[in-house]
Amino acid sequence: MFSQLVMLGSSGMLLTALIVLWRKHVPAYISAYRLQVWLLAGVTATVGYFTSDWRLFAVAFVLVVLKAIAIPALLRTMLRRFGAQPEVRPYVNTETSLLVAGLLVLFAYVLARPWMAVTDLPTRDALPIAMGLLFVSLFVIVSRRKAITQVIGFLMLENAIALLAAVGTYGVPLLVELGVFLDALMGFLVMQIFVYQIHETFDTIDVEQLTRLRH
Amino acid sequence: MTVDRSAAFLFMIAGYLAGAIVALIAPSDRIARGATAIGAASGSVAGLVVALAVLATGDRFELVRPDMIAVAGGIAIQLDSLGALFLALVCSVGLFAAIYGFTYTADYDGRRSLRFFGLMFNAFLLGMSLVPCAANVFTFLFAWELMAVASYFLVMTEHESSDARAAGLWYAAMAHFGFVLLLPMFLIMAPAAGATAFVDLRAGASALPPAARSTVFALALAAFGSKAGVVPLHVWLPRAHPAAPSHVSALMSGVMIKLGVYGLLRVTADFLGTGPAWWGGLVLAVGSLSALGGVLYALTENDLKRLLAYSSVENVGVIFLGIGAALVLQSYGLPALAMVGFGAALLHTVNHACFKTLLFLAAGNVLHGAHTRNMEQMGGLIKGMPVTAMAFLIGSAAAAALPPLNGFASEWMVFQALLSGAQIPKPEVAIGSPLAVGVLALTSGLAAATFVKAFGISFLAMPRSDAAAAAREPHWSAWTALGAFAAATVVLGLFAPSAIAAMYRIVESVTATPRDVTGGGGIWLLSANGVAAVSPLLIAVLVASVAFVAFASIRARGFDVRVADTWGCGRIRQTARMEYTSSAFAEPLRRIFSELYRPTEDFSVSVHPEARLIIRSITYTTRIVPWIEKALYEPVTRGARAIAASVRRLQAGSVHLYLLYIAAALMAALASAWWFE
Amino acid sequence: MSRAIAILFQTLLAAGLAPLVGGFIRWVKARLNGRRGAPPWQPYYEIQKLLGKEAVVSRTASWIFRATPFVVFSTSLVVASFVPLVAAPAGRFIAGDLFAAVYLLLLGTFFLALAGLDTGSPFGGMGASREMTVVALTEPTVALSIVALALNAGSTSFSQIVSRTLAEPAAALGPGHLLAFAALFIVTLAETGRLPVDNPATHLELTMIHEAMVLEYSGPYLALVEWGASLKLFVFLALAVNLFMPWGIAVSLAPIPLAIGLVTFVVKIGVLATAIAVLETRVAKLRLFRVPELLSASFVLALLAVLSTFLTR
Repeated sequence: MFSQLVMLGSSGMLLTALIVLWRKHVPAYISAYRLQVWLLAGVTATVGYFTSDWRLFAVAFVLVVLKAIAIPALLRTMLRRFGAQPEVRPYVNTETSLLVAGLLVLFAYVLARPWMAVTDLPTRDALPIAMGLLFVSLFVIVSRRKAITQVIGFLMLENAIALLAAVGTYGVPLLVELGVFLDALMGFLVMQIFVYQIHETFDTIDVEQLTRLRH
Repeated sequence: MTVDRSAAFLFMIAGYLAGAIVALIAPSDRIARGATAIGAASGSVAGLVVALAVLATGDRFELVRPDMIAVAGGIAIQLDSLGALFLALVCSVGLFAAIYGFTYTADYDGRRSLRFFGLMFNAFLLGMSLVPCAANVFTFLFAWELMAVASYFLVMTEHESSDARAAGLWYAAMAHFGFVLLLPMFLIMAPAAGATAFVDLRAGASALPPAARSTVFALALAAFGSKAGVVPLHVWLPRAHPAAPSHVSALMSGVMIKLGVYGLLRVTADFLGTGPAWWGGLVLAVGSLSALGGVLYALTENDLKRLLAYSSVENVGVIFLGIGAALVLQSYGLPALAMVGFGAALLHTVNHACFKTLLFLAAGNVLHGAHTRNMEQMGGLIKGMPVTAMAFLIGSAAAAALPPLNGFASEWMVFQALLSGAQIPKPEVAIGSPLAVGVLALTSGLAAATFVKAFGISFLAMPRSDAAAAAREPHWSAWTALGAFAAATVVLGLFAPSAIAAMYRIVESVTATPRDVTGGGGIWLLSANGVAAVSPLLIAVLVASVAFVAFASIRARGFDVRVADTWGCGRIRQTARMEYTSSAFAEPLRRIFSELYRPTEDFSVSVHPEARLIIRSITYTTRIVPWIEKALYEPVTRGARAIAASVRRLQAGSVHLYLLYIAAALMAALASAWWFE
Repeated sequence: MSRAIAILFQTLLAAGLAPLVGGFIRWVKARLNGRRGAPPWQPYYEIQKLLGKEAVVSRTASWIFRATPFVVFSTSLVVASFVPLVAAPAGRFIAGDLFAAVYLLLLGTFFLALAGLDTGSPFGGMGASREMTVVALTEPTVALSIVALALNAGSTSFSQIVSRTLAEPAAALGPGHLLAFAALFIVTLAETGRLPVDNPATHLELTMIHEAMVLEYSGPYLALVEWGASLKLFVFLALAVNLFMPWGIAVSLAPIPLAIGLVTFVVKIGVLATAIAVLETRVAKLRLFRVPELLSASFVLALLAVLSTFLTR
């Protein structure tokens, strides 16, 4: 029961990452990210419930407040600033991106097999899915043009690492967790400032234009 | 009824030689054609007798003559079940190709040297027949080279077209590339200088260290793979097969590339035995690439014969998928499951030979009738050439792997072989099996689309050119070949369980694996564990009976049919320009896979010189050049040309310089003899 | 002998019920749109009407055009005969497995595409080209969904898969099953020409796929083609419900399990048909070049389904 719920939640998180590769409009990305954070909170809470570790509930609560409410609100203000420009012509087209994502998950499965053999926690089946989510987030950052999509990719990367911690080691000490949150928040605010500046200078957040800095 | 197999074998050789020599000295073109056909046909019949005798009883046939050309090891012939299967393929296709060729080459009367053609045709058949029988290195290489040289000349039959000349050059280069790799392969396996018989090679291969075995495997895969036409060594296939006359294309596509499969099976399954898993993985990768690459390029082709050639590449890929699955399963100690893979590969070899020959011969009829290979100029041929159209339809349906024909049966078996890969104990390897299944499924879907295009655009609707409107069936003797292969396609499909049981027997004799696979349960094809089953015969009976019941009941109700114009949405007339074209049919898929195709587009508008707003013509050209050739072969040819150009500087043209070369070489030889004293 | 009778009964049931499914979906959509809608049994009237009408055949068409309706109808009906509908008896008196079903349906599509080209009209060619594109791209997804099911069950035979899912109900809620079901659902929409891939009610040249291929058909030919198409939809829905949610299906041929099987089958098909109707009301048809993205997504779902099955073995 425990491992099934965790598997369901992790698979759901992976599917929301696929939505980012599939859809073209940024509001869809923000909704997908929000759903992903809720699922992560759910998985963390489940782990906390079955291991009777009440600190994980606190972690889940902070997750919801910070990442499911605050950050999407900030993302929406960014979006209002720049106007909703859809992600047309990413570096890799949609069908190929989806295929590559599938293959990355397969690759993550092959990589994660030695770790699965080492641990005997009931949540170990979700390890390859967490690794897969990590690779897919990296792929999102690499293959998309709009800076805001890359920011969302970075945030999903954060979620992937948090999921990995939750299923791999039943979470990390609360202090570390809070430190990571703070780090992510700071990183996000810095990125926000950068994206504003890029938009001010170049009038677009298409990172392809940034290559002209070469001369 | 006992058959004197040595007599039949010698009769086979005599038939081919007689056909060759009599054709060469024939006084008239017609007699040359006749001699070619009779010699080839009689040789093929004799060869078929030997092959069937060996297959029926399972006893090997041997004929060893160490005294002939003893310096190279003598001639040794040994025909076991595996070789007999391939000999039977060669001879059955050769027989009907010879009959077909008699009337087909009548077009060449007076224009080309039919004597030389007859000589080369029989030499080609002789070479192909000897390859599966060869039992020592010299015989094998002699037959291999004879096959390559004879087919080169056959490809160059229409040598005034630059396409044919380029095709011949590519073909000769790739054939010799393969030959150059075969020599070290045999050398490594031979245990001693004089022991070059295949029995010695078998013993020697088992004694080799693993690195040498892997080298042998890699060389075999490269050499035999290039003959079979796998990507990336396939580049000669789509050039050579369309350029040759149609019955020669049928022989090349149906049989000659299968001899590459024969060579690979002989070296890996017979000589080397079980190897590490990466061998099978490499074969699977190569097979997947060929299957997908072949069908993707077939889809966008407008030249009917080149489309069929690319389809051959695709089917060879499917055969290699079966072999690869079998090798991987073998390396993990699952020989019963591996047998399914080998059996499926052999069955697909036979089935593909059957329907591809049918397709090429029908295409020959089309070429004869419509005088063009370009599908954009065809159309409506079903009205003028109904028999050819039916034959092409059966071949297309088999190539698209539709039940109950033979293509479906062998693809089903390959699917089951790939699915057995899930039982491999290592999950990292087992996960390749669903990926391979996905690749094969995509390939067969695209193949269905390709053959809808090939049959639909060429044969249906209205003719797109006057030649197509005037096309008629050729001489009725061409129908014997079509009829034979169409019947074989249907029979091999309906009675596939018996066919696969025969393949299992052959695999058992080669790999010496006990056959606990329940091969062929009556009318059912079975999977490895015997649970999943399909019965093509039952499916055919059910579909036919339901269709008949529907037809009869509708007729009983009585219905009227009125013939009228196609609905035109307000259009006044219907012309051939309003039909879908071949490029248009493939366009959605071409756009979807544009990253793989990288088509180049050229758009030019020519205007009136004085009034630039008046447009005279608009030309849109789009071309798909297989980028593998640009990426892989162009650097190689450029490098070869550069080396050749730099070496050419030695040929300065001055006589004094040449005298200097001679003197210097003489002095160097004497000096080296003194040095090594 | 009773097995043969059961199969015959199942086939007749399929032939009888199939038009009702299409009519039911149309009726639910109409109700959701606020209209009265034609009654769910309207397709029966349509088939009867068409059977009595005169058939008009195009001048350019050949025998393939006249033979195709029979091929389409008979292949769909034969597939319905060996797919588990009301009962899934074990044993070898079965014509084929999942791969055979897929390829037999492909035979029908092959001939339908040829018939589209045969008329010489650009609509037919366009429909044939688009349909073969969609079919070619759905093949890998179908194959992988089959693999995902077959990995659990150990083979591709229907009865084996059904009995395995019945024996382990917990596996039916696992991510592997759910993902494979989602993939197969998308494939069903694509192969049977429903929104968002194709609109079954349109006749605008830019938006037709299946309708374009059958544009020239009339009279009894059209009746058979439409019946065959509804049988195809019926078969796909039956596969979706019986392979993934087989509870209630009869495993023996006794009368009481058969009756229960029939009732549960009809209920399950009704639920899935309603879901399709609701979905069709909500989504718009995709542009043709967005369809590969959808099919690519379904392929990845099937791939993940296979991966999950590997993980939980």
